[in-house]
Amino acid sequence: MKSDKYPAIEFRNITKKFGSFTANDGISFSVNENAIHSIIGENGAGKSTLMKILFGIYSSDSGDILIKRKSVKFSSPLDAIKNNIGMLHQHFELIEDFTVFENVILGSEPAKNGIIETVNSRKIIAGLIDKYKLGLEPEDKVSDISISQKQKVEILKLLYRNSEILIFDEPTSVLSPVEVDEFFKIVRKFKDEGKTIILITHKLNEIKELSDRVSVLRKGKLVYEVDASSLDLNELSREIIGHVATEKLPDERTNNNGKETLLWFENIKLKKDNVEKLCGLTFSVSSGEVYGICGVEGNGQSEIVEAILGSEKHHSGKLEINADNVSLVPDDRIGKGMIKEFSVGENVLLREKKELIYDNKKIRDRSSKIITKYDVRLSDESAPLESLSGGNQQKVIFGREIELGNKLMVLVHPTRGVDINSSAFIYRIIIEERNKDKGILIISSDLEEILKLSDRIGVLYKGKIVSEYSKQDFTFSGEDAKKEFMTKIGKSMIGVGV
Amino acid sequence: MSRKLKAGIISVSLSLIVTIVLTSVLLLVIGKNPFVIYATLISEVFGTGYGLGQALFKATPLIICGCGLALCFQASLFNIGAEGQLNIGAFVMSIVAYTFDDMLGIMVMPVAIAAGFGVSALWGFVPAFLKIKRGVSEVITTIMMNFIALALVNYFLIEFLAVKSTVRTEKILENVFIPKLSDISSVFQGSSANMTFFFAIALAVFLYFVFYKTRFGYELRAVGLNPTASRYLGVKTNKVIMWAFLIGAGMTSLVGINFIFGYKGYYEFGFSNNLGFTSIAVTLLARNNPIGIIFTALLFGVLDYGGLAVNTLVPKEIMLVFQALVILSILAVDKIVKIYYLKEN
Repeated sequence: MKSDKYPAIEFRNITKKFGSFTANDGISFSVNENAIHSIIGENGAGKSTLMKILFGIYSSDSGDILIKRKSVKFSSPLDAIKNNIGMLHQHFELIEDFTVFENVILGSEPAKNGIIETVNSRKIIAGLIDKYKLGLEPEDKVSDISISQKQKVEILKLLYRNSEILIFDEPTSVLSPVEVDEFFKIVRKFKDEGKTIILITHKLNEIKELSDRVSVLRKGKLVYEVDASSLDLNELSREIIGHVATEKLPDERTNNNGKETLLWFENIKLKKDNVEKLCGLTFSVSSGEVYGICGVEGNGQSEIVEAILGSEKHHSGKLEINADNVSLVPDDRIGKGMIKEFSVGENVLLREKKELIYDNKKIRDRSSKIITKYDVRLSDESAPLESLSGGNQQKVIFGREIELGNKLMVLVHPTRGVDINSSAFIYRIIIEERNKDKGILIISSDLEEILKLSDRIGVLYKGKIVSEYSKQDFTFSGEDAKKEFMTKIGKSMIGVGV
Repeated sequence: MSRKLKAGIISVSLSLIVTIVLTSVLLLVIGKNPFVIYATLISEVFGTGYGLGQALFKATPLIICGCGLALCFQASLFNIGAEGQLNIGAFVMSIVAYTFDDMLGIMVMPVAIAAGFGVSALWGFVPAFLKIKRGVSEVITTIMMNFIALALVNYFLIEFLAVKSTVRTEKILENVFIPKLSDISSVFQGSSANMTFFFAIALAVFLYFVFYKTRFGYELRAVGLNPTASRYLGVKTNKVIMWAFLIGAGMTSLVGINFIFGYKGYYEFGFSNNLGFTSIAVTLLARNNPIGIIFTALLFGVLDYGGLAVNTLVPKEIMLVFQALVILSILAVDKIVKIYYLKEN
């Protein structure tokens, strides 16, 4: 470490749990003053949680944060702002009907006797726009400007509040390539001005181009740290994805007779809000196989599910589903997978759509079946599902969908936020179901999971399967072969070398 | 008893106490003795069969209309249009009733009820259709449909159908009236309470069964609690919204049974006296639970008649203040109970 720089922020042993799920697990590292420090990791790796703790949105269960060598405890973002920390969120918080100027001063209006003083603040804001070449017109209405300009308004807000430490949460996900270049220039200018920048991202090129140092989070833990000068992209992508456990599949397939295509996407194109989300997607799932789709989130995963559900219509291509009903474990179990106010049995009955009268006996029957068969731990059978832990909720949804007995199952992030034991349980059942000749589609950003379960893998990038692998491609002879494969697949997930 | 139900009872009782205290302060301010007022109210309503009967009579349409609204509210459809729905339904009910009563005899009742139900359901169809097809907020459409319904009723009544120099339709034949409670027990002598009250109770009990014991009820509540999850669980949400609006709006027309077949024998302009809006309060206060609606409607019925009973001492509007205060305090108390009793944040 160079002697003239001292840490602007130090994380010491930060741990944060949500129920039984550990989002941050003893994370320790420091961010140097006047550096661009990237934090990279898959979705659910704990990046956002850590930043929300730093910004005072969450409080950590244990551990300390030091700002300029002073221990701090923020109970709200206001405390963080007072300490000159600013955060650029993924979702903008702007009043559409206000002008750029009004949005910037909102919340810290320079007022005298209740009258807003504008002359001075206009000067300051114009100065900031000029200095950082933001290219904004203070009198433009926010509803009339582009997304990248809105982002600049958010940045301007941070600058106006004298933020010295800037947190950018996946800032380039809403930007086009040209805008990204522009954004990089602004960020470099910040560095020149002596500010400290934390960049949350999952794009490797951004790290290579911008950062001074990189920290990799995986499953809530800090797994890797490196200076950008000695950065090896291959090594980094392996670290992000993690090592594949060497354990064997729970149960190798025994029979594979009479294959029947259950799901077939053929050159499907689908638009949502006028943006092409699926751009000629082709893949198929047959009976008795697990097809795994891996990819960084937002590349068309939710649209695949919507297309299967029929709630979004494709405008070109052919979609064939050869099953009466499709079992579905959705990505967001509370928002999509259940009615959280209903009990286990009630959720099962509702999904079955068979009975007209729901009496207590039927509700008890259903719940005790799921609870015993899928090892659900709960104190009270009639309690609403929201009172169960995440892993147990997932087992309920899982069990419910399997008991439907449909030929085709779609599982999205089947073990996200689920502890190791429940995950293993779920994996075993997936393989059992496959061996009963079910066709199973798994959509997950957890490559380990995909490799462990799938018979075939498709890599989804920008609404297309960019590469497809069959079992022999990822049956490895040795560690090196596996490493090489992981690097290859990790790269195509983020669009490098395709 | 579940903790949630207990919490509900606690917050209702607490807010009643708060309301009684606040109303007492108001009474003291205008120089009245609250104890005298409350004592008079209680003795007038509960001390006489007539008073009790009147309270039941006032509660009856609130239960019925509240049930219709609960159907919508359970699906998170904020139907503000009951006033229009029930007026146009009751109006049509009376027209059918007096037109065909001599031809059909007592059988005119189901026919008239079906006709009224159908027209009210049509008034529910429009907002449901617009919500499903165009995503228009039902709050706006139902309010607008109120204006249309009331204007139409007014026009057809005054221009064509009203009995000369009145604002009412023709009276139905005496033999198609529903028996009064006083026909069974002389206790209720003179009161307008009729057998519709028992129909209202039966309707509420039936609806309770539907909400909590049938697939339709579960789907209805699921759509209300989380429409996205409902869709993923295979519930046809649009179908549920449509049925909730059709049956819910249709059901509000059944208040006409109490007034037309049980009381006056005709439709009269202004008979509802904001019943469609008061029922919103009754329903929300009962948290859309039909059994709860029976009790909240009875409370409002008691206050409604009680206001008349104490009218010689204080303006009867004091009971409107009381009703409004109940609603305000339940909203406030509910939050407090949730935080301190249920330990929610």
